[in-house]
Amino acid sequence: MNRSEYMAALRRALSVLPEEERANALRYYEEYFDDAGPENERKVIADLGAPEAVAAQILADYRELTAVPHPAGGAAAEGRRRWRGVSPGLLIVLVLLAIPVGLPLLGLLIGLAAAAVGILAAAAVTAFCLVVVVPFALVAAGVALCGFSFVLWHMPASALVTLGCGLVSFALGVLTALLMIKLCTLFVPPLVRGLVAIVRWPVDRLRGRARRNGGGIG
Amino acid sequence: MSYPIASSLLDGIVLAVVERESTYGYRITQDVQKVLDISESTLYPVLRRLQKDGCLTTYDAAYAGRNRRYYQITEHGRARLRQHRIDWQNYKSGIDAIFFGG
Repeated sequence: MNRSEYMAALRRALSVLPEEERANALRYYEEYFDDAGPENERKVIADLGAPEAVAAQILADYRELTAVPHPAGGAAAEGRRRWRGVSPGLLIVLVLLAIPVGLPLLGLLIGLAAAAVGILAAAAVTAFCLVVVVPFALVAAGVALCGFSFVLWHMPASALVTLGCGLVSFALGVLTALLMIKLCTLFVPPLVRGLVAIVRWPVDRLRGRARRNGGGIG
Repeated sequence: MSYPIASSLLDGIVLAVVERESTYGYRITQDVQKVLDISESTLYPVLRRLQKDGCLTTYDAAYAGRNRRYYQITEHGRARLRQHRIDWQNYKSGIDAIFFGG
């Protein structure tokens, strides 16, 4: 490979770059060859290594440069800092002004929270019924029907039907119990984890803010 | 033996080389290679990044019938280099204390 072949290969390998970036890189390496001198052409090619490898380094660095999502975070931090700048007097006036609107809103919020707690409780009771009462009732009904069938021995047909129904009910009860146990093992841990995460979220935020403030002072 | 070179250290070294005098890619590579075992292809991305960060600017000057691109340090680059020097002093004295005793 000579110099022009090397540069052509580099140009191909850099084809995904925007025109300006590629031209810049190619110019740098053209000049590199010029400054090394024609007598060192072979040495430069050997030292640089495969054009694809050279291009890979340039591309990796370009991607790193272009993937910088900082400005949004900076603006948010700026906003927070400005919010802290509200003077205490103005803050008191704002709080007093907010009371007429705030109190009904607070009431509404408390009502909504109570409703949410009620709905959660209802859901919990329903879930408890489904999980515990339904299988238990089915099993109990099955046992009762089986027992009752012995009382009906003087009418064999009725006794057999009752016994059959009892056994079916018993089996259904056992099956639903197994199903509920399986469902519980599947859904309860993530549900508990989710609830814990919801409860911890505000606490963690407060703690994080306290730590940031501490760092600012220290 | 040679140590792996962190990219921040390489940034500092390139800034220090360019601060001495405005110079061009091939020379910078030669100068850095005197002290560090780096590949010839390592420096272009570093120079490009420092340029994008506003630490270096380039200008073209005629040389031997062609244009040569020179790299020049900016005020921002000088400030960055001062920080690199402080960081290096701290790092160096920490290692020295362990190697040779405080």
